Amino acid sequence: MICVWCQQQFQPIIDLKALLTWRPLPAPALCATCTTRLTPITGPSCPTCGRRQATTSICYDCERWQAEPLKNHAVFQYDAGMKAYMQQYKFQGDYALRLALQAPLRQALRRQAYDVLVPIPIDQQTWLTRGFNQVTGWLSGQPFQQALTVKHAHKEQPQSAKTREQRLVTPQPFALVPQAADLLRGQRVLLLDDVYTTGRTLRHAAQQIYFGGAKAVTSLTLAR
Amino acid sequence: MNDLSEFFGRRLPAAQAVPELEDGQIAVQRIGQRYQCQRCQQWLAATDRLANGAWYCRQCLQMGRLTSQTKLYTISEPNRFSLPPGKILTWQGQLSAEQQRAATLVKTAVQQGHNQLLWAVTGAGKTEIVYPAMAWALAQRWRVAWVSPRVDVCLELAPRLQQAFRGVSQCLLYGDQSTPYTYSQLTTCTIHQLLRFEHAFDWLVVDEVDAFPLATSPMLQRAISRAEKKTGCHLFLTATPGEQLQRQIRRGQLTTTYLPLRYHGFLLPRIDLRLAWRWRMQLTKQRLPAKLIRQLRDYGCTQQRFLLFVPHVRDLPEIMQALNQAGIQGGASVHAGDPERAAKVQAMRDQQLPFLVTTTILERGVTFPNIAVVILGGDDPVFSTAALVQIAGRAGRSARYPRGEVTCYVQSQTQAVRRAQRMIDRLNRQGKQQGGRWPQ
Ligand SMILES: [Zn+2]
Ligand SMILES: [Zn+2]
Ligand SMILES: [Zn+2]
Repeated sequence: MICVWCQQQFQPIIDLKALLTWRPLPAPALCATCTTRLTPITGPSCPTCGRRQATTSICYDCERWQAEPLKNHAVFQYDAGMKAYMQQYKFQGDYALRLALQAPLRQALRRQAYDVLVPIPIDQQTWLTRGFNQVTGWLSGQPFQQALTVKHAHKEQPQSAKTREQRLVTPQPFALVPQAADLLRGQRVLLLDDVYTTGRTLRHAAQQIYFGGAKAVTSLTLAR
Repeated sequence: MNDLSEFFGRRLPAAQAVPELEDGQIAVQRIGQRYQCQRCQQWLAATDRLANGAWYCRQCLQMGRLTSQTKLYTISEPNRFSLPPGKILTWQGQLSAEQQRAATLVKTAVQQGHNQLLWAVTGAGKTEIVYPAMAWALAQRWRVAWVSPRVDVCLELAPRLQQAFRGVSQCLLYGDQSTPYTYSQLTTCTIHQLLRFEHAFDWLVVDEVDAFPLATSPMLQRAISRAEKKTGCHLFLTATPGEQLQRQIRRGQLTTTYLPLRYHGFLLPRIDLRLAWRWRMQLTKQRLPAKLIRQLRDYGCTQQRFLLFVPHVRDLPEIMQALNQAGIQGGASVHAGDPERAAKVQAMRDQQLPFLVTTTILERGVTFPNIAVVILGGDDPVFSTAALVQIAGRAGRSARYPRGEVTCYVQSQTQAVRRAQRMIDRLNRQGKQQGGRWPQ
């Protein structure tokens, strides 16, 4: 088996429990070494943004956001390993790396209670240059609705090039697609994004989803 | 008008359309049933596809992604160089008689446009031997590249070439650099960087030609022949030619210049073999062989600086800890992925450190005057015959300290170790015939 990240040969470790369930074994995408480069968030975390921390009380960043609460869960810590992953996947555009996180995302989605899954969209220019939406790349057959689009002529600076203050005052970048109301009315919606930094992007998205008539909006990010 | 010089002899994707350039070539092309990258020439896997349907190459992704929607542009090499007013070779040093003999042979071969090999022992001063041929090539307005599979070799070489050919435009290219590309007559770069060139160079000097990963990478081997002009030629440099090169030499397929003697005229240090029974077991208890500790303490007392080579990155923390417990302190460990690697090697060069514990990454390309060399676990398969000869070749390189000690601790004799000893003995026999002598 070849690891999708380091492209080295490896022997997958098969645990007994998986063998005994008689289900077809999912092929692991990452070797043991690459697996340890990413740190899953386990144990206490901020109940609002999902950041890993020592306590389960609301973290400092979220305290400042009290006015617009949005409950987020995160799968991995945004540490050096995850930054290296995102660098190769998102910025160098190595679409094959989506396979590395499909299984953990599948598990994380199973633990969420929602009716409709809405991934954060990318703008037209990014679609042309990157050639894929990094968020939907992690989905492996789970149904989702592209209820949001990025408003025309929105793309200016990438989020990562802005300071925290600049990000907090960004104007609403999203719009609802024409049939959004039918998709969202009375539903529990789960937003899906790559990295939770300030939460500004997700809050903009949540606001539009509520306009569309959703009953509840929560979010899941790959990293925090 | 745009500055198009970055396209001279290269194949690059253009950020915007460049009106001066003719229609580019699709970067990832369908050939038969498969897709091939036109930069690295590798075949794509059936899964190397983006969500928008485009194909993309994963093999050379680090140099910026190419897809079936990207175009590559090129302008054939115009050799637009102006020669410096004075002498081209500004190097002040002197070649020894043996070096001079080799230098003349190398220059003659390049004047005749031959592909050639310079086989010179570690510490022979092979860089300087190439200078006269290089000066001739530059005077012909040739575009020349000095390339190596190892980035350390390039980093050590570039400032020396800068000094030796001060009036010649030069640039250094390697993976993580931030300085922009400039069109230059003399390029020093890693072989990976050649993937961006096409028929640019009239002469290519390939340093450490037997080093990883070139020897095992058809992609890099092809990169060399593509970067060379159709009318061009190349010079391979090595101290330890691999099997394939040795076969070509025996069959007379390669013009070979052979230099079995170091520039200072002293013979190569021999490898002193010592048994270290079950040292790995001891290491789990944070202990190193008593013999080794005694030797390193002696080095400490006499302020003899040393390099300790160990088989694996994972051995480094344990060995550092065991050394520390034995009171051998103040040094550093270094390995390929170490973010402070360059800084540590520089500190060692500047005599700021008493020792370095290292994996095979420092086997070649680095020179520390008056250094003792110790190998722990020399029977581990990571130490090939060539690696051992190169490692031993770190010792005794300077004319002031030609006597270098090389000690190799093993659990058992292996073929690689015996072959390395035999190769050094053979080189020394030939060196003696040319007047080589043992240092006192
Ligand atoms: Zn891996
Ligand atoms: Zn929080
Ligand atoms: Zn390629």
